Amino acid sequence: MTELVDPEDPAAGLAAVVALRRLADRLEDSQVEQAMRAGWSWSDVAEVLGVTRQAVHKKHARRLLAAGVALRRR
Amino acid sequence: MSTDAKDVRSLLVRAARNEARRDGSRTIEAEHVLLALAATEDTDAARMLTEAGLTQDSIRAALANEWEHSLAVAGIAVRIGLLPMATPDNTRDPNIGESTKLLLKRALDARPASGANRITPLRILVGILDTERGRVARALQVAGVDRVALRVKAADALAAG
Repeated sequence: MTELVDPEDPAAGLAAVVALRRLADRLEDSQVEQAMRAGWSWSDVAEVLGVTRQAVHKKHARRLLAAGVALRRR
Repeated sequence: MSTDAKDVRSLLVRAARNEARRDGSRTIEAEHVLLALAATEDTDAARMLTEAGLTQDSIRAALANEWEHSLAVAGIAVRIGLLPMATPDNTRDPNIGESTKLLLKRALDARPASGANRITPLRILVGILDTERGRVARALQVAGVDRVALRVKAADALAAG
């Protein structure tokens, strides 16, 4: 099992890239949801993430509406 | 196998898509197909997985372990079970991911002795196991499952019809 965490092994290094993307996706989904449940605006979430309001809305609005989150208009 | 092959295939696709949604994934990857395969009832593939100690629960645990191990390569210590969950997007329609395309190609290459063109769960299992790359292979390694031996067993069963 030690070879799995060998930083010299490209297989492990590339798997770490995939793992980090998965982690970032999971955190983004959960933390955007948490912010919107706490009454944040799309603009505030977008500013913190460093993306446009449209981008964050497009990516998350449908899921959050389906999850029953009360969304602010702006 | 009593169930019609076409039914099994559509059932697998639907179940794999649900696994991808549950995982918060925008694509259906090989691990989602494996989880769907493990949940099929009365198939050779599911029986073979169970005999190797691979149930849906143990596969999920192995995938979580693989995730933790791979994050550790980047110096990140995370307990996957403690990560905040997002509500899954049940409206999302995940596309077929690259690892699924590859496993389907490998499944097609693994022709049974009869030469039949049907894609069966057993053939899909061979397709999944037929690579040392990717999350499934790594998860099986972490779980201590001999992927190569399991692949040989599945391929032999396929050849025997």
